[in-house]
Amino acid sequence: MPLRSFTGDHGMSSASVTSAIAAHRFGLGEASLAALPADPQAWLLAQIGPADAPRGDGLLGTAAALANVAAEQRARRAARAAPPGSAASAPDLAGFYRETIMADARSRLLTAAGTARPFAERLQLFWANHFTVSQAKGSARGLVGAFERDAIRPNIAGNFETLLWASTTHPAMLRYLDNTQSAGPHSRAVAREARRAARMDEGPRVSGLNENLAREVLELHTLGADSARGAHPVYTQADVTAFAAVLTGWRVPLRDERVDLSQPFDPAWHEPGAKTLLGEVYPEGPDALRLVIHDLARHPATARFLATKLARHFVADEPPPALVDRLAAAYRRGNGDLALVYRELIASPEAWQPQPAKLKTPEEFVLSSARLLRLDAHAAERGDGGGIGWAQGINALGQRIQAAPSPAGWSDRADDWLGPDAVWKRLEWSTRIANRFGGRIDARQLAAQSLGPLLGADTRTQIDRAADGPQALALLLMAPEFQRR
Amino acid sequence: MSTPTLLDPRRRHLLGALGAGTLAPWATLSLAAAGAAGPNRFVFVILRGGLDGLSSVPAVGDADFASARGALAQFASAPLALDGTFALHPNLAQLHAMYGRGELAVVHAVGLPYRDRSHFDAQQVLESGGVRPYEIASGWLGRLLGTKDARGAKGLALNTAVPLVLRGPGAVDTWAPSALPDPSAELVARLERLYANDPALATALERAKALHLDSAMAAEPGNGMSHGMAGNATTPNAGRPGGFVVLAQRAAEFLAQPDGPQVAVLEVSGWDTHANQANPNGPLANNLRQLDAGLAALRDGLSASGTWARTVVVVATEFGREVAINGTLGTDHGTGGAAFVMGGAVKGGRVVADWPGLAKKNRYDGRDLRTTTDLRAVLKGVLGEHLKVAARTLNTEVFPGSEAVAPLTLLRT
Repeated sequence: MPLRSFTGDHGMSSASVTSAIAAHRFGLGEASLAALPADPQAWLLAQIGPADAPRGDGLLGTAAALANVAAEQRARRAARAAPPGSAASAPDLAGFYRETIMADARSRLLTAAGTARPFAERLQLFWANHFTVSQAKGSARGLVGAFERDAIRPNIAGNFETLLWASTTHPAMLRYLDNTQSAGPHSRAVAREARRAARMDEGPRVSGLNENLAREVLELHTLGADSARGAHPVYTQADVTAFAAVLTGWRVPLRDERVDLSQPFDPAWHEPGAKTLLGEVYPEGPDALRLVIHDLARHPATARFLATKLARHFVADEPPPALVDRLAAAYRRGNGDLALVYRELIASPEAWQPQPAKLKTPEEFVLSSARLLRLDAHAAERGDGGGIGWAQGINALGQRIQAAPSPAGWSDRADDWLGPDAVWKRLEWSTRIANRFGGRIDARQLAAQSLGPLLGADTRTQIDRAADGPQALALLLMAPEFQRR
Repeated sequence: MSTPTLLDPRRRHLLGALGAGTLAPWATLSLAAAGAAGPNRFVFVILRGGLDGLSSVPAVGDADFASARGALAQFASAPLALDGTFALHPNLAQLHAMYGRGELAVVHAVGLPYRDRSHFDAQQVLESGGVRPYEIASGWLGRLLGTKDARGAKGLALNTAVPLVLRGPGAVDTWAPSALPDPSAELVARLERLYANDPALATALERAKALHLDSAMAAEPGNGMSHGMAGNATTPNAGRPGGFVVLAQRAAEFLAQPDGPQVAVLEVSGWDTHANQANPNGPLANNLRQLDAGLAALRDGLSASGTWARTVVVVATEFGREVAINGTLGTDHGTGGAAFVMGGAVKGGRVVADWPGLAKKNRYDGRDLRTTTDLRAVLKGVLGEHLKVAARTLNTEVFPGSEAVAPLTLLRT
């Protein structure tokens, strides 16, 4: 591992390249490397564990968030039943989830901006993106924060099987990918609905499978799309359909307040009979999902898919194959123990190359700016980002918080964030932040303290020569050393 | 096309141009040659998520349509008839009017060479122009802009990021509305020095600067840029309802510029209709309404300057959806679907389809509308006829390995 000491011109005594990489590439940026312990790798290893308790107020647990959704649906039903034209027929539900959504976004940013365990927090952001549930779809609205807090945060460093189970069976995921509406074609629920529809002389509202969740779990969460390609695909359309049948019954009936969140399974919706998936036969009933999740988590294709994504996130858009191989091997060795994979990553020389290969996403850029400027909870709470809130800032840069456009989540490749307009918007946002804070901060000192030996001579010169404080800060925020990690 | 005849319009054009003493074949491309009427324009609209071709263009005259589609055969109001077999979704009224004026051709049972059902793989194929996912890392339009054929041509993405289809060696600008203030020119100049050793950031900044600061063109009165590129007309968040309409209007303003981009790409997401697809106030109905309004806005914006007559717009999606309704009043992922080709240069008022029929035995895998027209045939036809891209370039650089896919003739001759 290349190590060299550095003595800065601006009050920085010394910090190793390793510290700087640990802080910026593995973490979410630091205002001063002096705050890091002497052994940066030990600092990272000590962070392996569940994510911090979320900060912020007004956060709903899964049950309360679901009750909120149920209340919204009741209000809509009442409106439909009210006489047309009456006030009750047009309730104002447009902002129903606003407070929840804002509290969730604020909490996500506050927690990441203030945490002393930024590596764990980066992993939480990674897995929340891997298991995307998005406000962009109405059925998930008001539930994304609860999903991240209850399904992802506690499970980021345990066995992948636990994380996969928590994600797949969480009500937000079941709703987001339509499983709540998917029914076994031969289930009691479908027969009942057919009778009701015939009585009412209308078409049935539900008559069978919806494949959405099954396909995305295979393609995006476990085996990966690569596995479906080629002459000998790991899975085919028949596996998707079979998995969809396994998943039937896993749903959250919002009208039924007795719903058991620990096992949101309704046998009336389940497709009877055994199912064959990836060559294995699974029994009828809720236990089949547990078995399928277990087998998917242990599948070598899953090991490779997750290893590739982790290596891409931490090291390079096109990760070194040898690193992917080692991470996948660690995953298999530990039967899906994620802590073992993280340890392998930290021990990998590829992850410690001084030249930064990764461009920060908008959210990472804004979060690391907040940490650089030590903007405390209060400032973020006020939305103090020079007139626009942090969340709105990230949205303006093209990455709406907790609202990815598709189940694939946000891209982890620079190409997708390097459009001219995207870079321009980063510059606009930096200008605004710099105008707000640059007058009372010495950006020269801040650059040296935060980036340490990663701060290049050219950037230091440009910041030194800046016309004023705001311009110096804007240059620091936009410097390649700060845009990349 | 291996053996062009003398009647082939591209061939005729080539001969005529050579006769006029042009030095090289590629100089005949109207992409590069600014004639009196100005270079032709091409707009590609990507519908992400898998547009249901049988909801947007229902085959109401197919004997199996009603039984195959169940509740999805019902519409809130009558579909808008195109011919004896096909109609448009009632929310596509302005497209229907274009069809009536002969400016819109509808292509049906069209799809990619990719036949599996992953959004992400299918979009990669749609945009890369390859046959299999990830065999090509750049986009077919991006590569086209990088060929000699396209010398000087510029591409524009109406988005913050460059979509894959436009990625390649050519010049691509991006534009999206902003609510943030412009940085000072001095800061930009200093930043340019800072990026001297970071080519990727330097390139992005240089192009952004050209759009935002060096906008003398935008400042000129009477050039149609009433809102100005640097003005940052404050319409934040193009993802909101109406966002596509705004982007289409801006696209028209850029394309109408004499020195504007020749190629533009717009994207609309939200077509993945697994449930409640027939709801007249549901996402599909609203998306179709927005698409209709946006495409009409594009047409109106280009018509004022006369650019519409030189424009072809292709609207395509990564795949169609399963023919049968699924268990939740929606449709799951399928293969064949519908595409739209419109513009003043289009020979419209017709449905182009080698219709496979909807009976179960005629479906792909027994479930999907069978793809009988390769989308590349549509795109090659438009690029060849309209942008005068040589067949060889199309077959080797833009859509490698597509020799066997004969271009469709879609334009007025």
